[in-house]
Amino acid sequence: MSILAQCGYGRGEKIEQGLNDGVIHGGIMSPRDERKDRLEQAIQDWGVSHPNAFVMFDPQFYAASLNNPRDGHLNEFDYYGNNSGLGRTHFSGTRIQGYVRECIDYQHQTFGSNVAYLISPTILFDSFRDSWSQISLNMAVESADYHFGLDSPQPLLISLVISETAFQTMDAVEEFLDAITEFDAQGFYIIIRRNSASLQHAMESAPFGRFMYFCHVLTTINEYEVIVGYSDWHSFLLEAAGVTYTATGWYQNLRQFSLARFQPTSGGRRPLKRYSSTPLLSCPLINPELQDIHLANLLPRVLSGSNHDSIIQNGPAAGEANWTDEISCLAHWYSLNALSQRLSALPTQAARIQEAELLMQNALTLYTQLGSQNVYFDPMTGPDHIREWRDSLQEFRALAGL
Amino acid sequence: MAIPQLTIEQVQAVIPSASDIQEIDRGGQKIVFSGIIDGRKYAFKFMAPNPSQVGGQNSEFLDDVTSRAQREVETMEQCSTPHLVRMGPIGLNTTDIAGDPTIYFSEEFVEGENLRSFLQSNGVFSVSELVRLAFEMSEAIKAIWQFSKIHRDIKPGNIMRRRDNGVFVLLDMGLVFDLQDESLSVCPVGTPLYFSPEQMDFNNRRTIMNFRSDLFSLGTVMYEMATGKHPFIKGARTTWEVLGNIANATPRSPKELRPELSEKLSDIIMRLLAKRPALRYRSIELFQRALREVESEGGVQ
Repeated sequence: MSILAQCGYGRGEKIEQGLNDGVIHGGIMSPRDERKDRLEQAIQDWGVSHPNAFVMFDPQFYAASLNNPRDGHLNEFDYYGNNSGLGRTHFSGTRIQGYVRECIDYQHQTFGSNVAYLISPTILFDSFRDSWSQISLNMAVESADYHFGLDSPQPLLISLVISETAFQTMDAVEEFLDAITEFDAQGFYIIIRRNSASLQHAMESAPFGRFMYFCHVLTTINEYEVIVGYSDWHSFLLEAAGVTYTATGWYQNLRQFSLARFQPTSGGRRPLKRYSSTPLLSCPLINPELQDIHLANLLPRVLSGSNHDSIIQNGPAAGEANWTDEISCLAHWYSLNALSQRLSALPTQAARIQEAELLMQNALTLYTQLGSQNVYFDPMTGPDHIREWRDSLQEFRALAGL
Repeated sequence: MAIPQLTIEQVQAVIPSASDIQEIDRGGQKIVFSGIIDGRKYAFKFMAPNPSQVGGQNSEFLDDVTSRAQREVETMEQCSTPHLVRMGPIGLNTTDIAGDPTIYFSEEFVEGENLRSFLQSNGVFSVSELVRLAFEMSEAIKAIWQFSKIHRDIKPGNIMRRRDNGVFVLLDMGLVFDLQDESLSVCPVGTPLYFSPEQMDFNNRRTIMNFRSDLFSLGTVMYEMATGKHPFIKGARTTWEVLGNIANATPRSPKELRPELSEKLSDIIMRLLAKRPALRYRSIELFQRALREVESEGGVQ
């Protein structure tokens, strides 16, 4: 598996830098956050400058069914601008055909082979048994049918945007899997809508364990490709479950997906700077958390090993000013990519699961050692999220019989 | 509903071009004769429609027997694979015999042995026979599914091995289920011992029944042909208990019962028997690819 950039506002040169550094394999473009002409130009340019990059375009059609969404540049794209403000009654068979045709045609005709896949339009649902999930399935079926008739298209990924609460009921998860494993598509692009927009690394343990199982059934059992967007630190566990690619971005709203991304913002201060630590499987605050670790002479134990570490190596507090957003993002991709490389080098799923368990155990041990040296962490940093992940992995193993 | 009470003489009168007519089978809804037309042997199937079921003979709706006969004939006409029984020279017809309405048609007569007889007499298949059976039946399932239909009655008694070339042929498309046809009954039909779990799920079947249901039934047949034992009969005293096992029990792996089978072949059979369709194979091609891997490795430990 590899890490992709989950693009959003403020892309700058991060993608080019990440590709050049080899810490990402490509990016998922966000039409909400970029002018149409710029986005199209960027995809075209990468086709020349980075022909092996894995570029995708998330049409974000799901925003069309949200109530007064803050949808940015999406209205510049006809497949969205012509169809926004959709209620439940706006999804008849004929209308769905129209949405699908416009959305897929746009990608097919505009990007050609500069994108790795065409992505089907979808809408968000909260339960696998509600009417919105049925609409989502109808859109998927229609997309597969329409894609089948296109002339030399890129392969199709069915997109799904699912609330994490949908994974509360296992029976419903299994029924949904029975339905979507009928699809004739290359795979799935899945986004999990988190309930909270706050910095909670871990989804609840049981639902996330079921989501891992969901991905395992799609990838390992049914041999679909699965790309999970906005996955952040979950990526190494998803790797153990068999996921093909995961994506994460630079801002918090590009690391976890919540509806806050499409709601009016009340502004707010800049987030405190954080460092992505592979050994801790988390992002401690540079000041005071990383600084405290430094003062306890334990900094080398938590560093991830990227070139950017030199900025903070001689004192995180002193280096904080030079820890720019771009460096923070590149260092984050580096950390996730390192985990991904570590797991993907292993020959079997059993070995990858074992490695994931080991990573978590080592992280918990490290938190304990740091605690004994009077280094304290904000609950948002950890280590409770690792305990949730361990329970998730147990849940996954039980469900998958691994 | 009654089976038509027919004599050889009555059949001869209905199909005068046939010779050497003999009764060969009498089932729940039909009586089958064999006979020779233009030097080739065929099976003639006769059924009694049930007009009262849908409001009389002049009703625009068809009774179940007639609908099934139509689907059986239509499926044989649509599918062209050597692993499905073919249509004979007489298409679907209706006639009155001794005042009783009767429907009939012909299909090829497959000379050979059905797997039920084989199981009773010889025991189990070799690995190469198992792989061939699986591959050829998957071709039959694929041919039917191409028209959004499923067989619903794959069982040893419906699979013949041709005497002349050993090719396996799937018989009896009478229960073929057309997912596109909203008018058809979705009541559980078939042979309970070979049901898939979703075949029993009355409320949800139309949405989740597809070729993977036939793959489950094929898995049950393969398990039997590999081990000589039905995977879900153990401990069951009634059909209901077998159905309960199909829905809930995990059988011992074929390898446990027959250690020389490769892990891979054993796993394939167990995967076909997964309770959820999503855990089987999402395409016939993936299933066949797995079979080829077993074949290339010899299929034994």
